[in-house]
Amino acid sequence: MKVTVSTRHSDYDAIVIGSGAGGGVAAAVLAEAGKSVLLLERGRDLSFETVGRDHLRNQRMAVYGHNAGPDIDGNPRTLEAGSFPIPVGEALGDLRLLRPHEPGYQNNAACVGSGTRVYAGQAWRFMPQDFRMASEYGVPEGSSLADWPIGYEDLLPWYEKVEWEIGICGDHRTMTHLPAYDKPYPMPALPLPHKSGIHKRGLEQLGWQWLRVPRLINSVPYNDRPGCINCQQCVGFACPADAKNGSHNTTVPRALRSGNCTLRTEVMAERLACSAGGRVTGVTIIDANGQRQTLTADVVVLSCGAVETARLLLNSATPQEPTGIGNGGDQVGRNLQGHYYPGAAGLFPDVMFDGVGPGCSIATCQFNHGNDDIIGGGFLGDEDIVTPVTMWKRFYPPDAPRWGIEAKRFMRDNYRRINDVTGPVQEIPSPAARVNVNPQVKDKYGIPVAHLSGATHPETVRTARFMHERAKEWLRASGAIKVWGQPPPRYLSGGQHQAGSCRMGEDPAISVVDPFCRVHSHDNLFLADGSPHVTNGGFNPVETIMALAWRTADNIVAKW
Amino acid sequence: MKCLRALLDTIIPEDDFPGAWEAGVGDYLGRQLASDLAKLLPAYQAWLAGLDDEARVLHGADFAGISPRQRTALLMRIEQGAVEAAWQIEPAPFFRDIVEHCAEGFYSDPGNGGNRAGIAWRMIGFEVSG
Repeated sequence: MKVTVSTRHSDYDAIVIGSGAGGGVAAAVLAEAGKSVLLLERGRDLSFETVGRDHLRNQRMAVYGHNAGPDIDGNPRTLEAGSFPIPVGEALGDLRLLRPHEPGYQNNAACVGSGTRVYAGQAWRFMPQDFRMASEYGVPEGSSLADWPIGYEDLLPWYEKVEWEIGICGDHRTMTHLPAYDKPYPMPALPLPHKSGIHKRGLEQLGWQWLRVPRLINSVPYNDRPGCINCQQCVGFACPADAKNGSHNTTVPRALRSGNCTLRTEVMAERLACSAGGRVTGVTIIDANGQRQTLTADVVVLSCGAVETARLLLNSATPQEPTGIGNGGDQVGRNLQGHYYPGAAGLFPDVMFDGVGPGCSIATCQFNHGNDDIIGGGFLGDEDIVTPVTMWKRFYPPDAPRWGIEAKRFMRDNYRRINDVTGPVQEIPSPAARVNVNPQVKDKYGIPVAHLSGATHPETVRTARFMHERAKEWLRASGAIKVWGQPPPRYLSGGQHQAGSCRMGEDPAISVVDPFCRVHSHDNLFLADGSPHVTNGGFNPVETIMALAWRTADNIVAKW
Repeated sequence: MKCLRALLDTIIPEDDFPGAWEAGVGDYLGRQLASDLAKLLPAYQAWLAGLDDEARVLHGADFAGISPRQRTALLMRIEQGAVEAAWQIEPAPFFRDIVEHCAEGFYSDPGNGGNRAGIAWRMIGFEVSG
């Protein structure tokens, strides 16, 4: 890989599109290396107050909208009707027309920092086995399960960088499912809430591994920002103490402090700009006033998330690549995956709630691998504090009264005694789970929207059923007197953990980017988000997205 | 409005903590029916008219004019789809939606118009700091 620097003068050395987990890292690394960087973000730069504390409009409970974008209007997607088990959104011929907060849309936040502005910040390294799923388990029929072209050891130096430079708290001694850490986390784990202590004893009783959940949160003051104040409204919201570490308060400010980075918000990338020969020369953008502009750069990095990165490539067809940039092998947009989240809820004899947030503190990796007749698996963890309306909607026992004085009493008596455990399942990819573009439907900028189709492989659903049973076992061992919940049905996954749509590989016929996340057919186009993930681990993917983006950006700089 | 108030206070009745109406669920619903749920306004009106009809058929009075015990019994019948009046809207499924909206107003953040001064959170012990 060698970046060829164009002799023609470009507006910037590099343009990074998207300021989320991957884009923030790419912008910081390139800018600190002295490159002039333009960082583009379709959303706004949101204050804590603007994100707000709306319990019906947040990234965890988006009944009527989102608190961190995208806006409800003007950002539709279409979905194949069979990709979701119930009708969602509005009918549009045979398809469903979706707004960002509706199920099946696969939303991620649109603001400076993207999902990292409002996430829980669970910070997991993938396991070594997660990089070689096909070798470990074979390839089930109908799936596109494959090994990554790189392994855990290749990513390890950048995992450590993320842990120390962006800031992760945890207890490395408890991460016994991984090779021993060379460096501890820079901050101790968050305080253990009362209920997490109970769940820890449940795991001990079962003889299952337990660990302290690492998080991108300052447990103590770090990087010139304060420590967590243990509030009750963490996941889905912005942090009142600025102790949650996302791109908006780590990598993006680093990029800007270098003096080499310009951040432009409310700017939408319409298509990649290319020379007559088909080489990427920059990007055509549309700003909030509808003004179109083409900006040039020697290197372009796409960090739009697995759905929007694929959409942008597909919307950038050239005479040389008539089905979309990087799509010569018909691979762009395929293998979309996220995480199934099986779990269960339980009613406990005593009060579990002590108000110590964020809440998710204890997990087990007992079932990520090595399960009889199951491909992969996932971790199970306890939960961040559940807001009352979320309890009502998501974790209420199916046989409890829903109205009348008994329902009121039930919430009053049991809100603090209901607790759930859950976790992400490593999805088995399907080539039919796909992002495409729908030229019939345009967004507010007039750009063809993403069209989503297919569903996860049936093996994902089977793993989820298995994990659902383990969740119930754990709750009973923790002392629950009643346990409920249902395993998820088959549908198209993606959501905030979206990944896989531009998979990494050595062979351009079956992958989109090379092992350094460079689009095979281009010498100066790179991806830095979840889209290159061949598989997505049984873990929240953000630390891997950040580490991979860091490795990609370091490599761009090294070869420049 | 009397009918809606009686309905909401049957779904979440007053005890030593306020019922739905006093806690602001009516305000929550008013806001929602003017914005996110605007499409449901005709359905709400049809359903409330059906509720009054049902009360008149069974008890000879509007829903707000019958006793709390009668209101509860009436809603339990509606929940089962057992109705006597000529409803313009399928009564049972929309009742579930109304219950859901009522709970949203009562248990979500006070910024949404219900759960006035966090009274529902105080009741269940959701303590907020920071």
